[in-house]
Amino acid sequence: MTIQLKKVSKTFGSFQALKSIDLSIADGEFVAILGPSGCGKTTLLRMLAGFEQPTSGEIAIGGSVVATSRSSLPPEKRRIGMVFQNFALWPHMNIYEHVRFPIRTHKETPRAIREREAERINEVLRLVGLAELAKRMPHELSGGQKQRVAIARAIAPEPTLLLMDEPLSSLDAMLRMDMRREIQSVHRETGSAIVYVTHDQGEALSMADRIVVMKDGQIEQVGTPQEIYLRPETEFVARFVSKANLIQGSWSDNRFTPLGADPSTFWPGDAVADCFKSQGLYPVRPDQFQLEPASAGGLYGEIVNVQFQGKEFNYDIRAAGQHWEVISPATFKLHDQVSLHIPSVAGEASSVTPATMSQTPSSAVVPETPLTATKTASSASSPAVLQTAQPATSPAAPATTSAASPAAPAITTTSVAPAVVPAGASNGVSNDTSGEPSGIVMPQTTSGW
Amino acid sequence: MTDIHTPGVELRARKGSGGFPLSLLRASSAGRNIGVVLGIIATLFFFVLPIVKLVLLSVQGEQGLSLNYYVELLQQERFWRTMKHTFVIVAGSTLLSVVLGVTAAWLMAYTDLSHKKLLHLLMLLCFVLPSYVLTLSWSSFMGPQGWIAAVLQWFHPGARPWSMYSVGGIIFVMGIHHFPLVYLFTVNVLKKIPKDLEWAANTGGAGRWKTFFRITMPLALPGVTAGGLLVFLASLDNFGIPAFLGTPVNISVLSTLIYEEIIGFGPSAFGRGASLSVILGLIAVAGTLLQWLSVRKSKQAEALRVDEEPRYMLGKHRFWVNPLLWGGLIFITIIPLFAMISLSLKKSYGGKGLSNLTLHNYRYILLDNPSTWKSIQNSLLLSITTLVVCLIIGTLFAYFRVRRPSKMNRLAELAISVPYTLPGIVFALSMILVWMEPIPGWNPGIYGTTTILFIAYVCRFLILQIRAGVTAFAQVDASMEEAARISGAGAWRRWRKILLPMLLPGLLSGALLVFLTALTELTVSALLYSSGSQTIGVAIFGFEQAGNTLYSTALSSLIVFLIFAGAGLLGLLQKFTLRKGVQS
Repeated sequence: MTIQLKKVSKTFGSFQALKSIDLSIADGEFVAILGPSGCGKTTLLRMLAGFEQPTSGEIAIGGSVVATSRSSLPPEKRRIGMVFQNFALWPHMNIYEHVRFPIRTHKETPRAIREREAERINEVLRLVGLAELAKRMPHELSGGQKQRVAIARAIAPEPTLLLMDEPLSSLDAMLRMDMRREIQSVHRETGSAIVYVTHDQGEALSMADRIVVMKDGQIEQVGTPQEIYLRPETEFVARFVSKANLIQGSWSDNRFTPLGADPSTFWPGDAVADCFKSQGLYPVRPDQFQLEPASAGGLYGEIVNVQFQGKEFNYDIRAAGQHWEVISPATFKLHDQVSLHIPSVAGEASSVTPATMSQTPSSAVVPETPLTATKTASSASSPAVLQTAQPATSPAAPATTSAASPAAPAITTTSVAPAVVPAGASNGVSNDTSGEPSGIVMPQTTSGW
Repeated sequence: MTDIHTPGVELRARKGSGGFPLSLLRASSAGRNIGVVLGIIATLFFFVLPIVKLVLLSVQGEQGLSLNYYVELLQQERFWRTMKHTFVIVAGSTLLSVVLGVTAAWLMAYTDLSHKKLLHLLMLLCFVLPSYVLTLSWSSFMGPQGWIAAVLQWFHPGARPWSMYSVGGIIFVMGIHHFPLVYLFTVNVLKKIPKDLEWAANTGGAGRWKTFFRITMPLALPGVTAGGLLVFLASLDNFGIPAFLGTPVNISVLSTLIYEEIIGFGPSAFGRGASLSVILGLIAVAGTLLQWLSVRKSKQAEALRVDEEPRYMLGKHRFWVNPLLWGGLIFITIIPLFAMISLSLKKSYGGKGLSNLTLHNYRYILLDNPSTWKSIQNSLLLSITTLVVCLIIGTLFAYFRVRRPSKMNRLAELAISVPYTLPGIVFALSMILVWMEPIPGWNPGIYGTTTILFIAYVCRFLILQIRAGVTAFAQVDASMEEAARISGAGAWRRWRKILLPMLLPGLLSGALLVFLTALTELTVSALLYSSGSQTIGVAIFGFEQAGNTLYSTALSSLIVFLIFAGAGLLGLLQKFTLRKGVQS
């Protein structure tokens, strides 16, 4: 059952929340809608659910129009499931009753499910791993268990479409990683289409088949996670999703010479979108740079801040009058002069891309390895971050401060949050996901660690 | 696509017009508009028109507008004497309430007193009792036949206790009746002042006293002010205490003066009553605005956590603070209550000893005197119907107010709060003016029946139910309901299966408040009753005015019993709720 949005827009008073959105979602597809708060992503989701009515345009589910500017099928008549940000569990019902409610209440519940109600409830509870807790009340559950109940309730009547509104944002960082896996397995088992709203690019990149990046009520770019991450088409996508530095310089024939570098330096430009070329910009992800001692030539910069992250270092580098963020396994000290390179040639770039492409996050098994790696890396690194702004010369030093005080994450957040993060992207996000994109493209970074 | 539905149609249907299931029916947009218009008309008619009529009457001369009534008033010596008494009584009792309330709040919030829950209930008792019951218990306690007099006789034959029938007596009873308001406001404010701020002052070199005056006090001041202004309003509104204690010795305040004007009839009684009411109403509105401002100021601390940890250890002071607090509270409420009950059990006012004990007074008011029995029936019937109507209308209105906030329903809430904001006597007079002739040339015959009392009760107490409802709805996230809709539940099922089970405790405690307030109401009923529609409050007032103290105390004792039964019910309800885990 496909979902089609045609020229859908929505205004609240004088505020235009959505501006003529066109989008279609295929049967069984996992689509993530990614954007900063206020970009209209939640409005879009609530419109699919039927809580909001479009001001113009129309929405069709499975070929029949469910909403236009004049009429809208109410949520209770659409065959959808929804998982809410704050779980929305009813405090007076136990888990079993939660899952039973939509099966009994929804008029569209297939007969087959209705007839074997008890069996279906147990099946769903087993799927989310709560079979043992069926008699518990919501207040007796942990955050992760609550979210599992919410998911179980949403999928119980086998909806054709499952909507998720930032389902992980009320969970703590560690739990979020586990729940990603959980949601992926729900997607595999149920085969229903999922529309997943999030402001966390890590969640979108790791789970979705397709990502819709939104900004100010408009779609910025639609594509697979790899396309979005590796080949951003707008400045916003480059900054928001890949946290890219936008380097100023000049283009000639697909080759880029950064400002302040000696004129013989050329960076390969095949994968760079036209939007950047016309503005004389070159997007570079923090992990894309290769740092070498200053003698190596190319573009020179000075290290103005160092944060040890366990697996690699986060450097703030000042070059050609700009500040850039670089993630690199190479060890340098504060105030070192370095030379910045883009590991060369289009040839290599194109050989890397397919390799990464084959590890499609939607294939679900492969990303687990890098994700787990990231998880351990980031948890190990958090005390180390206390060393902010000191030259991280002695790796032993963190151990002395590793009585991880509760303040540590806060420090991480504020100090890591780089200038490249656009306004609106939550700091907490940059904290626990900063290492992860580099996890996906790890094959690309060379040796040394 | 046959199914045309605008989201929220059923939500926007107006409260006053359609009943509960009706408003949930799917309505066309024309139907919705009719609903809105009906709602606006009902709000204007029930809540705004009375005030307009009152003001108009006060400025009506023989030919067109005139300020004659006001000019006349300002020339009367009686008016100025009343203003002076009003001022002294309101200021004095407010001051007493603030001192008692802040002291109690500080002790309860910051020290390590034991049995705080019980102390809390004991403090609230003063306010839960109707003011005339508290008045009667103190006048029985301090009267010539009372316990204090008996004790004084021991020391010095002929010594008499201080008379409650005086300005001082009125101030005292009002002060202890209202101090729980200040206490309730202040205790939360104090608990929300972060400990760190005080610690920061300590590390900055401030001692305990300096910290209190430079940090704690300034932060608590908006809350204390808000509580104080609330007491100011309540004292201005109060009719029972000055009517019981002041009228017999010719002390009037504005509320009793208006009552006397209206009861006294005469050619321009209503006109003079109206102009007095406008003056009293204006003072009350000014007080309300100030109160609203200071509440808003103290709301800044709203997001802060309530800190229940004691900050000061009483240590060796515990040995005198504890007994003093308990003794004081028991002395101002429990002992006078028992004095009143013991008086109600006497055969004759002067008699002494066991032989003088009897249940005769109770038999008289319950069995022999049909009009008292009628008043009990009336009050029960009125308070139950008021409860039901307020529960339904108030809950629906609160729902729209929280889920679909708009300028329209904010204004409606403001209008609905007017009858409760205005002093009761002022509101009662305005009800008379409206219902004698709601539309020129049409007298529905409601004035002088129980119906006008019912309308007045609903208009005055509806806001109580709405506030309880708004609090309850605000605690239930909109997504709870949305989750039910997604699960396929229509409006009826959402209310029955999801909303009501979650909200019922909050809604019912609001309803119980409405019920108790209506059951013991005196001010409004005193002006609006007529023979056959008297209420409990009016009956007690009547006995007291006729000098039948034994009967009035007996009926009051019955009321006290009813209130305790109600409070017990509420306690059970809360226990039940806790067990179901709805709180979390």
